Amino acid sequence: MKDDLSDYSDAALAVGIARYRQEALAEAYRRHAGAVYGLARRLLMVENLAEEVVQEVFLRLWNQPDRYDPARGSLRSFLLAQTHGRAVDMLRSEGARRQREEREARGTAEAGYDMELEVWDMATAERVRSSLAALPEGEREAIELAYFSGLTYREVARKLEEPEGTVKSRIRSGLKRLRGELVAAGITTGGER
Amino acid sequence: MTPGRDDLDELLGAYALDAVDAQERQRVEEYLAHNPRARAEVEQHREVATMLSYTGAPAPEGLWDRIAEALDDRAPAPEPGPELAKVMPMPARVTAGPVPAPPVSAPALAPRSERRTRRSWTGVFGAAAAIVVALLSWRVVDVTRQLDDARAHGVGLERAIENLQQDSTTRRADLLSTDGRQTAHAYVAVDGTGYLDGRALVVLDPDHTYQLWGVVQGPAGQQVISLGVLGRQFDVAPFVVRQGTLVKLVLTEETRGGVPVSSQPAALAGDLI
Repeated sequence: MKDDLSDYSDAALAVGIARYRQEALAEAYRRHAGAVYGLARRLLMVENLAEEVVQEVFLRLWNQPDRYDPARGSLRSFLLAQTHGRAVDMLRSEGARRQREEREARGTAEAGYDMELEVWDMATAERVRSSLAALPEGEREAIELAYFSGLTYREVARKLEEPEGTVKSRIRSGLKRLRGELVAAGITTGGER
Repeated sequence: MTPGRDDLDELLGAYALDAVDAQERQRVEEYLAHNPRARAEVEQHREVATMLSYTGAPAPEGLWDRIAEALDDRAPAPEPGPELAKVMPMPARVTAGPVPAPPVSAPALAPRSERRTRRSWTGVFGAAAAIVVALLSWRVVDVTRQLDDARAHGVGLERAIENLQQDSTTRRADLLSTDGRQTAHAYVAVDGTGYLDGRALVVLDPDHTYQLWGVVQGPAGQQVISLGVLGRQFDVAPFVVRQGTLVKLVLTEETRGGVPVSSQPAALAGDLI
Protein backbone atom coordinates (compact mmCIF):
# COMPACT_ATOMS: atom_id res chain seq x y z
CA MET A 1 0.00 0.00 0.00
CA LYS A 2 1.30 3.43 -0.86
CA ASP A 3 1.81 6.01 1.83
CA ASP A 4 -0.70 8.83 1.98
CA LEU A 5 1.51 11.87 1.54
CA SER A 6 -1.23 14.46 1.68
CA ASP A 7 -0.34 15.30 5.28
CA TYR A 8 3.36 15.66 4.63
CA SER A 9 4.96 19.06 5.07
CA ASP A 10 6.83 20.43 2.06
CA ALA A 11 10.08 19.77 3.91
CA ALA A 12 9.12 16.13 4.38
CA LEU A 13 8.23 15.89 0.71
CA ALA A 14 11.67 17.26 -0.14
CA VAL A 15 13.23 14.49 1.91
CA GLY A 16 11.12 11.93 0.09
CA ILE A 17 12.12 13.36 -3.28
CA ALA A 18 15.78 13.22 -2.29
CA ARG A 19 15.25 9.54 -1.60
CA TYR A 20 13.87 8.89 -5.06
CA ARG A 21 10.30 8.54 -3.93
CA GLN A 22 8.27 9.39 -7.00
CA GLU A 23 5.08 9.61 -5.00
CA ALA A 24 6.63 12.50 -3.05
CA LEU A 25 7.25 14.37 -6.28
CA ALA A 26 3.72 13.50 -7.41
CA GLU A 27 2.34 15.05 -4.24
CA ALA A 28 4.42 18.20 -4.74
CA TYR A 29 3.09 18.31 -8.29
CA ARG A 30 -0.49 17.89 -7.07
CA ARG A 31 -0.08 20.81 -4.69
CA HIS A 32 1.82 23.25 -6.82
CA ALA A 33 1.63 22.36 -10.53
CA GLY A 34 -1.41 24.59 -11.02
CA ALA A 35 0.39 27.66 -9.68
CA VAL A 36 3.55 26.81 -11.61
CA TYR A 37 1.64 26.31 -14.84
CA GLY A 38 -0.48 29.41 -14.27
CA LEU A 39 2.56 31.64 -13.81
CA ALA A 40 4.41 30.15 -16.79
CA ARG A 41 1.35 30.56 -18.99
CA ARG A 42 0.74 34.09 -17.86
CA LEU A 43 4.32 35.03 -18.71
CA LEU A 44 4.69 33.11 -21.94
CA MET A 45 1.08 33.09 -23.17
CA VAL A 46 1.84 29.92 -25.11
CA GLU A 47 0.65 26.64 -23.68
CA ASN A 48 3.29 24.31 -25.03
CA LEU A 49 6.09 26.54 -23.71
CA ALA A 50 4.35 26.76 -20.34
CA GLU A 51 4.12 22.98 -20.21
CA GLU A 52 7.81 22.75 -20.99
CA VAL A 53 8.56 25.04 -18.06
CA VAL A 54 6.44 22.92 -15.72
CA GLN A 55 8.32 19.82 -16.81
CA GLU A 56 11.70 21.48 -16.32
CA VAL A 57 10.83 22.87 -12.90
CA PHE A 58 9.64 19.55 -11.50
CA LEU A 59 12.44 17.55 -13.11
CA ARG A 60 14.91 20.00 -11.64
CA LEU A 61 13.35 19.49 -8.21
CA TRP A 62 13.75 15.75 -8.74
CA ASN A 63 17.35 16.04 -9.88
CA GLN A 64 18.50 18.72 -7.44
CA PRO A 65 16.35 18.50 -4.31
CA ASP A 66 19.17 19.90 -2.17
CA ARG A 67 18.59 23.30 -3.72
CA TYR A 68 15.30 23.69 -1.92
CA ASP A 69 15.94 24.96 1.59
CA PRO A 70 12.80 24.73 3.76
CA ALA A 71 14.37 27.14 6.23
CA ARG A 72 14.39 29.89 3.62
CA GLY A 73 10.82 29.70 2.38
CA SER A 74 7.94 27.63 1.13
CA LEU A 75 8.23 25.05 -1.61
CA ARG A 76 5.65 27.01 -3.61
CA SER A 77 7.83 30.10 -3.43
CA PHE A 78 10.89 28.11 -4.49
CA LEU A 79 9.08 26.50 -7.42
CA LEU A 80 7.56 29.77 -8.57
CA ALA A 81 10.93 31.52 -8.43
CA GLN A 82 12.35 28.72 -10.60
CA THR A 83 9.37 29.01 -12.91
CA HIS A 84 9.70 32.74 -13.27
CA GLY A 85 13.41 32.54 -13.99
CA ARG A 86 13.00 29.86 -16.63
CA ALA A 87 10.01 31.53 -18.28
CA VAL A 88 11.87 34.83 -18.41
CA ASP A 89 14.83 33.08 -20.02
CA MET A 90 12.50 31.78 -22.69
CA LEU A 91 10.75 35.10 -23.06
CA ARG A 92 14.03 36.86 -23.63
CA SER A 93 14.85 34.48 -26.44
CA GLU A 94 13.72 35.85 -29.75
CA GLY A 95 11.11 33.23 -30.59
CA ALA A 96 9.11 33.21 -27.38
CA ARG A 97 9.10 36.98 -27.13
CA ARG A 98 7.77 37.20 -30.67
CA GLN A 99 5.05 34.65 -29.99
CA ARG A 100 3.96 36.53 -26.90
CA GLU A 101 3.90 39.85 -28.72
CA GLU A 102 1.88 38.34 -31.55
CA ARG A 103 -0.68 37.03 -29.11
CA GLU A 104 -0.82 40.35 -27.30
CA ALA A 105 -1.27 42.15 -30.60
CA ARG A 106 -4.12 39.86 -31.56
CA GLY A 107 -5.60 40.21 -28.11
CA THR A 108 -6.20 36.49 -28.07
CA ALA A 109 -4.04 35.11 -25.35
CA GLU A 110 -4.07 31.36 -25.71
CA ALA A 111 -4.31 31.14 -21.98
CA GLY A 112 -7.66 32.90 -21.76
CA TYR A 113 -6.19 33.53 -18.39
CA ASP A 114 -8.87 35.21 -16.41
CA MET A 115 -11.62 33.01 -17.74
CA GLU A 116 -10.46 29.66 -16.53
CA LEU A 117 -8.55 30.26 -13.40
CA GLU A 118 -8.46 27.80 -10.63
CA VAL A 119 -8.02 30.19 -7.77
CA TRP A 120 -6.27 28.51 -4.91
CA ASP A 121 -7.80 30.78 -2.32
CA MET A 122 -10.38 33.31 -3.40
CA ALA A 123 -10.22 35.38 -0.24
CA THR A 124 -6.44 35.52 -0.28
CA ALA A 125 -6.44 36.33 -3.97
CA GLU A 126 -8.76 39.24 -3.41
CA ARG A 127 -6.67 40.64 -0.59
CA VAL A 128 -3.50 40.35 -2.64
CA ARG A 129 -5.25 42.08 -5.52
CA SER A 130 -6.36 44.87 -3.19
CA SER A 131 -2.90 45.25 -1.71
CA LEU A 132 -1.37 45.50 -5.16
CA ALA A 133 -3.96 48.03 -6.24
CA ALA A 134 -3.23 50.10 -3.14
CA LEU A 135 0.38 50.68 -4.16
CA PRO A 136 1.37 54.01 -5.66
CA GLU A 137 0.80 53.71 -9.40
CA GLY A 138 4.46 53.98 -10.32
CA GLU A 139 5.43 51.15 -8.01
CA ARG A 140 2.56 48.92 -9.09
CA GLU A 141 3.27 49.43 -12.79
CA ALA A 142 6.97 48.75 -12.38
CA ILE A 143 6.37 45.54 -10.43
CA GLU A 144 3.71 44.25 -12.80
CA LEU A 145 5.78 44.92 -15.91
CA ALA A 146 8.86 43.34 -14.39
CA TYR A 147 7.14 40.31 -12.93
CA PHE A 148 4.33 39.49 -15.33
CA SER A 149 5.84 40.74 -18.57
CA GLY A 150 9.35 39.51 -17.82
CA LEU A 151 10.96 42.88 -18.57
CA THR A 152 14.21 44.05 -17.05
CA TYR A 153 13.99 47.23 -15.01
CA ARG A 154 15.77 49.03 -17.85
CA GLU A 155 13.09 47.87 -20.28
CA VAL A 156 10.42 48.92 -17.80
CA ALA A 157 12.06 52.35 -17.57
CA ARG A 158 12.01 52.73 -21.34
CA LYS A 159 8.40 51.62 -21.52
CA LEU A 160 7.30 54.02 -18.81
CA GLU A 161 9.69 56.77 -19.95
CA GLU A 162 11.12 57.05 -16.47
CA PRO A 163 14.76 57.12 -15.31
CA GLU A 164 16.23 53.65 -14.75
CA GLY A 165 17.22 54.49 -11.19
CA THR A 166 13.69 55.57 -10.40
CA VAL A 167 12.22 52.32 -11.69
CA LYS A 168 14.82 50.26 -9.86
CA SER A 169 13.97 52.01 -6.61
CA ARG A 170 10.24 51.75 -7.18
CA ILE A 171 10.42 47.99 -7.66
CA ARG A 172 12.25 47.59 -4.39
CA SER A 173 10.16 50.04 -2.39
CA GLY A 174 6.98 48.65 -3.93
CA LEU A 175 7.85 45.11 -2.92
CA LYS A 176 8.58 46.27 0.62
CA ARG A 177 5.36 48.23 0.76
CA LEU A 178 3.41 45.30 -0.64
CA ARG A 179 4.86 42.99 1.97
CA GLY A 180 3.75 45.41 4.66
CA GLU A 181 0.26 45.53 3.17
CA LEU A 182 0.05 41.74 3.02
CA VAL A 183 1.24 41.32 6.57
CA ALA A 184 -1.24 43.96 7.72
CA ALA A 185 -3.98 42.09 5.86
CA GLY A 186 -3.07 38.96 7.78
CA ILE A 187 -1.50 37.15 4.87
CA THR A 188 1.74 35.51 5.79
CA THR A 189 4.40 35.59 3.15
CA GLY A 190 6.88 33.14 4.53
CA GLY A 191 7.23 29.69 5.97
CA GLU A 192 5.87 26.46 4.69
CA ARG A 193 2.43 25.07 4.66
CA MET B 1 32.41 51.77 -12.57
CA THR B 2 31.89 49.09 -9.95
CA PRO B 3 28.57 49.54 -8.19
CA GLY B 4 28.71 50.33 -4.49
CA ARG B 5 26.89 48.61 -1.68
CA ASP B 6 23.95 51.03 -1.88
CA ASP B 7 23.64 50.51 -5.62
CA LEU B 8 23.59 46.77 -5.14
CA ASP B 9 21.02 47.05 -2.36
CA GLU B 10 18.86 49.12 -4.67
CA LEU B 11 19.01 46.29 -7.24
CA LEU B 12 17.70 43.62 -4.87
CA GLY B 13 14.05 44.11 -5.75
CA ALA B 14 14.66 43.93 -9.48
CA TYR B 15 16.97 40.95 -8.97
CA ALA B 16 14.29 39.07 -7.03
CA LEU B 17 11.92 39.55 -9.97
CA ASP B 18 14.53 38.41 -12.55
CA ALA B 19 14.48 41.95 -13.91
CA VAL B 20 18.22 42.52 -14.16
CA ASP B 21 20.63 41.73 -16.97
CA ALA B 22 23.21 38.94 -16.80
CA GLN B 23 26.08 41.15 -15.62
CA GLU B 24 24.03 42.74 -12.88
CA ARG B 25 22.79 39.35 -11.81
CA GLN B 26 26.33 38.13 -11.41
CA ARG B 27 27.33 41.18 -9.37
CA VAL B 28 24.30 40.83 -7.11
CA GLU B 29 25.00 37.15 -6.54
CA GLU B 30 28.59 37.85 -5.59
CA TYR B 31 27.24 40.44 -3.15
CA LEU B 32 24.65 38.03 -1.76
CA ALA B 33 27.28 35.38 -1.16
CA HIS B 34 28.76 37.55 1.60
CA ASN B 35 25.71 39.41 2.85
CA PRO B 36 23.07 37.50 4.84
CA ARG B 37 20.95 40.63 5.29
CA ALA B 38 20.71 41.12 1.54
CA ARG B 39 19.95 37.42 1.05
CA ALA B 40 17.12 37.69 3.55
CA GLU B 41 15.74 40.72 1.74
CA VAL B 42 15.75 38.87 -1.59
CA GLU B 43 13.93 35.93 0.01
CA GLN B 44 11.29 38.31 1.34
CA HIS B 45 10.85 39.90 -2.08
CA ARG B 46 10.46 36.45 -3.62
CA GLU B 47 7.84 35.46 -1.08
CA VAL B 48 5.90 38.59 -1.97
CA ALA B 49 6.24 37.75 -5.66
CA THR B 50 4.88 34.30 -4.85
CA MET B 51 1.79 35.93 -3.43
CA LEU B 52 1.34 37.85 -6.66
CA SER B 53 1.00 34.48 -8.38
CA TYR B 54 -2.13 33.96 -6.36
CA THR B 55 -3.88 32.20 -9.15
CA GLY B 56 -3.20 29.09 -11.05
CA ALA B 57 -4.63 27.14 -13.91
CA PRO B 58 -5.22 23.40 -13.91
CA ALA B 59 -2.10 21.78 -15.29
CA PRO B 60 -2.85 20.09 -18.60
CA GLU B 61 -3.93 16.50 -18.53
CA GLY B 62 -1.13 14.11 -19.31
CA LEU B 63 1.62 16.49 -18.21
CA TRP B 64 2.36 14.56 -15.06
CA ASP B 65 2.57 11.35 -17.11
CA ARG B 66 5.25 12.93 -19.28
CA ILE B 67 7.20 14.00 -16.20
CA ALA B 68 6.85 10.57 -14.61
CA GLU B 69 8.06 8.96 -17.81
CA ALA B 70 11.15 11.16 -17.76
CA LEU B 71 11.78 10.14 -14.15
CA ASP B 72 11.85 6.51 -15.18
CA ASP B 73 14.68 7.31 -17.53
CA ARG B 74 16.65 9.06 -14.82
CA ALA B 75 17.78 6.10 -12.82
CA PRO B 76 20.65 6.84 -10.45
CA ALA B 77 24.11 6.37 -11.84
CA PRO B 78 26.06 3.34 -10.68
CA GLU B 79 28.53 3.51 -7.83
CA PRO B 80 31.91 4.83 -8.91
CA GLY B 81 34.67 2.30 -9.27
CA PRO B 82 37.56 2.56 -6.85
CA GLU B 83 39.89 4.13 -9.43
CA LEU B 84 37.40 6.82 -10.33
CA ALA B 85 36.63 7.50 -6.70
CA LYS B 86 40.33 8.04 -6.03
CA VAL B 87 40.61 10.58 -8.80
CA MET B 88 37.43 12.41 -7.96
CA PRO B 89 36.26 11.77 -4.40
CA MET B 90 32.68 12.72 -3.66
CA PRO B 91 32.00 15.86 -1.67
CA ALA B 92 30.13 15.49 1.56
CA ARG B 93 26.42 16.06 1.29
CA VAL B 94 25.38 19.60 1.96
CA THR B 95 22.03 19.50 3.63
CA ALA B 96 19.61 22.25 2.88
CA GLY B 97 18.60 22.97 6.43
CA PRO B 98 16.73 21.46 9.32
CA VAL B 99 14.74 18.96 7.32
CA PRO B 100 12.51 16.80 9.49
CA ALA B 101 12.23 13.13 8.72
CA PRO B 102 9.11 11.96 6.96
CA PRO B 103 6.44 10.77 9.37
CA VAL B 104 6.62 7.29 7.95
CA SER B 105 9.62 5.15 7.25
CA ALA B 106 11.45 5.95 4.06
CA PRO B 107 12.30 3.19 1.62
CA ALA B 108 15.58 1.42 2.15
CA LEU B 109 17.52 3.66 -0.15
CA ALA B 110 20.57 5.65 0.72
CA PRO B 111 20.21 9.39 0.16
CA ARG B 112 20.81 9.91 -3.50
CA SER B 113 23.79 12.16 -2.95
CA GLU B 114 25.59 9.22 -1.39
CA ARG B 115 25.02 7.31 -4.57
CA ARG B 116 26.24 10.01 -6.89
CA THR B 117 29.29 9.42 -8.98
CA ARG B 118 31.86 11.79 -10.32
CA ARG B 119 32.32 12.15 -14.01
CA SER B 120 35.21 10.23 -15.40
CA TRP B 121 35.62 12.50 -18.39
CA THR B 122 37.72 14.91 -16.41
CA GLY B 123 40.23 12.11 -15.97
CA VAL B 124 40.26 11.59 -19.70
CA PHE B 125 41.23 15.18 -20.21
CA GLY B 126 43.88 15.18 -17.51
CA ALA B 127 44.14 15.86 -13.83
CA ALA B 128 44.34 19.58 -14.45
CA ALA B 129 40.78 19.48 -15.60
CA ALA B 130 39.51 17.77 -12.49
CA ILE B 131 36.57 19.67 -11.12
CA VAL B 132 35.68 19.97 -7.49
CA VAL B 133 31.92 19.73 -7.62
CA ALA B 134 30.40 21.83 -4.87
CA LEU B 135 26.74 21.96 -4.05
CA LEU B 136 26.32 25.69 -4.09
CA SER B 137 23.47 27.76 -2.77
CA TRP B 138 23.39 30.01 -5.80
CA ARG B 139 21.00 29.08 -8.52
CA VAL B 140 22.16 27.29 -11.61
CA VAL B 141 20.29 26.34 -14.67
CA ASP B 142 19.84 22.71 -15.48
CA VAL B 143 18.15 22.84 -18.81
CA THR B 144 17.14 19.29 -19.58
CA ARG B 145 15.22 19.64 -22.72
CA GLN B 146 14.82 17.41 -25.70
CA LEU B 147 15.74 18.68 -29.10
CA ASP B 148 12.18 18.20 -30.23
CA ASP B 149 11.12 20.72 -27.62
CA ALA B 150 13.59 23.22 -28.98
CA ARG B 151 12.31 22.64 -32.49
CA ALA B 152 8.81 23.19 -31.19
CA HIS B 153 9.82 26.73 -30.22
CA GLY B 154 9.91 27.60 -33.86
CA VAL B 155 13.12 29.48 -33.20
CA GLY B 156 15.50 29.79 -36.12
CA LEU B 157 18.33 28.05 -34.34
CA GLU B 158 20.66 27.94 -37.28
CA ARG B 159 20.05 31.63 -37.83
CA ALA B 160 20.73 32.26 -34.15
CA ILE B 161 24.17 30.68 -34.60
CA GLU B 162 24.86 32.78 -37.65
CA ASN B 163 23.96 35.92 -35.71
CA LEU B 164 26.21 34.93 -32.82
CA GLN B 165 29.11 34.24 -35.17
CA GLN B 166 28.94 37.84 -36.31
CA ASP B 167 28.85 39.22 -32.77
CA SER B 168 32.27 40.16 -31.37
CA THR B 169 31.13 39.47 -27.79
CA THR B 170 30.26 35.84 -28.55
CA ARG B 171 32.37 33.17 -26.88
CA ARG B 172 33.10 29.96 -28.73
CA ALA B 173 34.01 26.40 -27.81
CA ASP B 174 35.40 23.88 -30.28
CA LEU B 175 34.55 20.47 -28.89
CA LEU B 176 36.86 17.70 -30.03
CA SER B 177 36.62 13.94 -29.55
CA THR B 178 39.50 12.08 -27.95
CA ASP B 179 40.48 10.51 -31.26
CA GLY B 180 40.25 13.88 -32.99
CA ARG B 181 37.80 12.59 -35.56
CA GLN B 182 34.69 14.44 -34.43
CA THR B 183 34.10 18.10 -33.80
CA ALA B 184 31.19 20.22 -32.68
CA HIS B 185 31.12 23.96 -32.23
CA ALA B 186 29.28 25.95 -29.61
CA TYR B 187 28.57 29.66 -29.43
CA VAL B 188 27.61 31.45 -26.22
CA ALA B 189 26.16 34.95 -26.08
CA VAL B 190 27.05 37.38 -23.34
CA ASP B 191 23.69 36.71 -21.62
CA GLY B 192 24.50 33.01 -21.22
CA THR B 193 22.37 31.77 -24.09
CA GLY B 194 24.26 29.22 -26.16
CA TYR B 195 23.86 26.95 -29.15
CA LEU B 196 25.70 23.73 -29.91
CA ASP B 197 26.01 22.80 -33.55
CA GLY B 198 25.89 19.00 -33.71
CA ARG B 199 25.34 18.57 -37.41
CA ALA B 200 28.74 16.92 -37.90
CA LEU B 201 28.29 14.33 -35.16
CA VAL B 202 27.60 10.65 -35.80
CA VAL B 203 24.10 9.35 -35.17
CA LEU B 204 23.96 7.21 -32.04
CA ASP B 205 22.06 3.96 -31.83
CA PRO B 206 18.41 4.22 -30.75
CA ASP B 207 19.11 3.36 -27.12
CA HIS B 208 21.58 6.18 -26.62
CA THR B 209 21.55 9.95 -26.46
CA TYR B 210 23.99 12.79 -26.42
CA GLN B 211 23.99 14.77 -23.17
CA LEU B 212 25.61 18.18 -22.80
CA TRP B 213 27.36 19.27 -19.60
CA GLY B 214 28.77 22.63 -18.62
CA VAL B 215 31.53 23.49 -16.18
CA VAL B 216 30.43 26.76 -14.61
CA GLN B 217 32.62 29.06 -12.55
CA GLY B 218 30.66 30.64 -9.70
CA PRO B 219 31.47 32.61 -6.55
CA ALA B 220 32.20 29.44 -4.57
CA GLY B 221 34.13 27.54 -7.22
CA GLN B 222 33.30 25.36 -10.18
CA GLN B 223 30.25 23.24 -10.67
CA VAL B 224 29.23 20.74 -13.32
CA ILE B 225 25.66 21.03 -14.53
CA SER B 226 23.59 19.27 -17.14
CA LEU B 227 22.70 21.55 -20.01
CA GLY B 228 20.48 19.18 -21.91
CA VAL B 229 19.64 15.69 -23.10
CA LEU B 230 19.91 16.13 -26.84
CA GLY B 231 18.78 12.87 -28.41
CA ARG B 232 20.65 10.41 -30.62
CA GLN B 233 21.19 13.08 -33.25
CA PHE B 234 20.63 16.81 -33.34
CA ASP B 235 21.33 19.75 -35.58
CA VAL B 236 21.49 22.74 -33.25
CA ALA B 237 20.80 22.44 -29.53
CA PRO B 238 20.09 25.57 -27.46
CA PHE B 239 21.13 25.87 -23.83
CA VAL B 240 21.24 28.57 -21.15
CA VAL B 241 23.57 29.28 -18.24
CA ARG B 242 22.06 32.01 -16.14
CA GLN B 243 24.53 32.18 -13.28
CA GLY B 244 28.27 32.02 -13.26
CA THR B 245 30.65 31.81 -16.17
CA LEU B 246 30.65 28.83 -18.48
CA VAL B 247 34.25 27.68 -18.90
CA LYS B 248 33.99 24.27 -20.55
CA LEU B 249 31.51 22.13 -22.44
CA VAL B 250 31.49 18.34 -22.45
CA LEU B 251 29.35 15.98 -24.49
CA THR B 252 28.77 12.44 -23.23
CA GLU B 253 26.93 9.47 -24.69
CA GLU B 254 24.31 8.19 -22.26
CA THR B 255 21.54 5.67 -22.28
CA ARG B 256 18.30 7.02 -23.70
CA GLY B 257 16.68 9.61 -21.43
CA GLY B 258 19.95 10.90 -20.03
CA VAL B 259 21.25 10.78 -16.47
CA PRO B 260 21.40 13.20 -13.53
CA VAL B 261 25.09 12.42 -13.06
CA SER B 262 27.30 10.86 -15.71
CA SER B 263 29.83 8.10 -15.27
CA GLN B 264 30.69 8.03 -18.95
CA PRO B 265 33.90 9.29 -20.51
CA ALA B 266 33.65 12.46 -22.55
CA ALA B 267 32.74 11.92 -26.16
CA LEU B 268 33.84 15.46 -26.97
CA ALA B 269 35.01 18.41 -24.89
CA GLY B 270 36.19 21.95 -25.40
CA ASP B 271 37.01 25.11 -23.45
CA LEU B 272 35.16 28.39 -23.96
CA ILE B 273 37.36 31.02 -25.50
